[in-house]
Amino acid sequence: MNRGPFIFLGVFTILSLTWALVINKPIQETGHLSPIFDAEQGGRLPIGIKGGAAQGKLVYQEFGCIACHTQQVRVAAGFDLERGWGERQSVARDYLDETPVLIGNSRLGPDLSNVGKRQTDASWHMLHFYNPDITSKGSNMPAMPFLFETREIVGEATSRALKLPAEYAVADGYEVIPSRKAEALVAYMKSLKVTYDLKEAPKSNDVMSEELSVALENAK
Amino acid sequence: MNLIGNLCSSLCSNLEGDAKNREAQRTIDAAIRFPLLSIFKASIVWMLIATVFGLIASIKLHTPGFIEECQYMTYGKVEPIFWNTLIYGWLFNAGLGCAVFLLARIGGTPLKQGVFLTITTVIWNLAVVIGVVGIILGDQLPYKWLEFPSYTAPILFISFLGIGLWCAMAFRARVQRTTYASQWWILTALFSFAWIYSAAQIMLVCSPAQGAFQTLVSAWYAENVFGLLIAPLAFATIYYLIPKTLGIAVVGYRYTGIAFWSWILFASVAGTAKMVNGPIPVWVASVGVIATFGLLLPTTTFSIQFLGSLLSRFSKIWDTASARFLIAGVLSFIVTMLFKSFGALRGSQEVVQFSIFESGVNQLALFGFAGMVFTGASYFILPRLLNKEFPSPTLVDLQFWAHGMGLVLLCIGSISGGIQQGELINGSTADMLAVVNTMRSSYFLASTGLSFILVGAIAYNVTFFWMLLSARSKKEASTSLIEEAPELEYTAS
Repeated sequence: MNRGPFIFLGVFTILSLTWALVINKPIQETGHLSPIFDAEQGGRLPIGIKGGAAQGKLVYQEFGCIACHTQQVRVAAGFDLERGWGERQSVARDYLDETPVLIGNSRLGPDLSNVGKRQTDASWHMLHFYNPDITSKGSNMPAMPFLFETREIVGEATSRALKLPAEYAVADGYEVIPSRKAEALVAYMKSLKVTYDLKEAPKSNDVMSEELSVALENAK
Repeated sequence: MNLIGNLCSSLCSNLEGDAKNREAQRTIDAAIRFPLLSIFKASIVWMLIATVFGLIASIKLHTPGFIEECQYMTYGKVEPIFWNTLIYGWLFNAGLGCAVFLLARIGGTPLKQGVFLTITTVIWNLAVVIGVVGIILGDQLPYKWLEFPSYTAPILFISFLGIGLWCAMAFRARVQRTTYASQWWILTALFSFAWIYSAAQIMLVCSPAQGAFQTLVSAWYAENVFGLLIAPLAFATIYYLIPKTLGIAVVGYRYTGIAFWSWILFASVAGTAKMVNGPIPVWVASVGVIATFGLLLPTTTFSIQFLGSLLSRFSKIWDTASARFLIAGVLSFIVTMLFKSFGALRGSQEVVQFSIFESGVNQLALFGFAGMVFTGASYFILPRLLNKEFPSPTLVDLQFWAHGMGLVLLCIGSISGGIQQGELINGSTADMLAVVNTMRSSYFLASTGLSFILVGAIAYNVTFFWMLLSARSKKEASTSLIEEAPELEYTAS
């Protein structure tokens, strides 16, 4: 091992072989998925995110929400289903359109794969971003007051203004208006829901056995 | 054992007298003094910056109102800045500094083109600054340890190629043809980083893999930053510092080859273990789990070599600042690897997945293992480079104890806190708000730990700049302070 090229070649060989095995091989074999068209479930699956929600994804990325929130549901381990974070395992096809992908690997806060199903109310999300204490007392999620503008009410109060509870209210004659970023982020939150089934996605044992028995029944 | 002999004889090719050897070493040191000092300057300042950001992030977890109004300092921004400055700012520079010193000393010849090295490292550090500013302004990428905006990647990569080229030339220029383990590790680190960084950038940014597979690439990259960049540089430093500070050959040196090749093999696959239960083929994660467990093989060899050497000269450890940092680093390494290997098993991941356990282990690996080793090495290198004494040994002691105590608190907070958090999140349906409430004390403990480390970082900065800026005393100017004892240079082989 006294020659540089020998070490270089050895390391190069190991690195390229392991890369070929654990990165390249899975991508070549399963990394070229295409969307499915299923008229019953609403056409193209996965249902991509569009418009305001796509803008909101950028805001999500900008503020680093991924540091605390995942967007993946596991079935084989954990209590993701019991917690109501999802109904089935997240599979590769779910993330088809996501570049960059925001799966995340830290759960300081709840999983958000289906937050659009759990919280359908836009004003809940607005209050939550303005000050999480209003909606989730004791949360350590950072408030994001900079996504809102506190301004003097000129004439009539704006309909978009937040309806703050009394103890969080701003001074009389002022109102809190969500910025465009806040609205985009809320649109993104509401778009985060998995509303379709994929054949390859495992569900909870109960659901799977039920489906199996139905299928057996039909076969008979 | 003749490799050790060669290492040592490379530093002083004959034993005519210490003065003459020292003279040769001073020429070698003088050739790299300017680039090396600029590298260490950068690393030490980055350490302070990283610790400050780490502390801010940690405080935000238990007191979310802390710096809440500022949209440039959200937790989601401060946290990646912490990790990236820690790795690409502090540890990369510190490891590179050690590598340059080792290449020069073991190679036994004054190295040329120091200006080139200085320029490339300055560009590297500017790119890190741009990256930090980019994250603050909101351009971050959502990949672990690759959060720097995509426009910094070409600058980082090109400056890294420059650094790598310089080191390769430095290795080629060696007078002593027989190589030593430190040199293998340095070459490995430099080559691997060029490989993993370009592969990750291409597969994530230039022509991204499909959704879920980006996570796979990102997990592979993040683990390799530790396993193939930071850890090899730290191993290189340990293999050099043990004979130097203790005056003995590394115990069981002949097994180094096994440890070297098996580490590279297993470490380069280990990252995929993080993908357990994720949306990628199951076997990929399983290969990763096996590889992470396989890392116990080289870890055992390293433990025997390093601990065997250090414990055989235990009395020296308390006298020598470098050796004290070294043993703390080696112990952190062993604990890190145990946590990593056993934590990657499926059963453990069912408990700790997505909790702060992983970041706790990473902090132990980076602050504890690599950080301690590089700091110890800098306390060995700087007096030799500057021919000055430590302005205040108390400050060095303060840093050691503050860093060590901080590390213990940080690990209890993050690792045991992470297990607790994982049990609650992955093992029960406890309300998330209740989990946050339970975790508050762990977060608080981690903040306390980081404050200790911050004290250490300040002491380190004061020591370094005091040493750098103070005028040489008469004694320092007239003589060589470093009396390399012959037994430290030659070892029974």
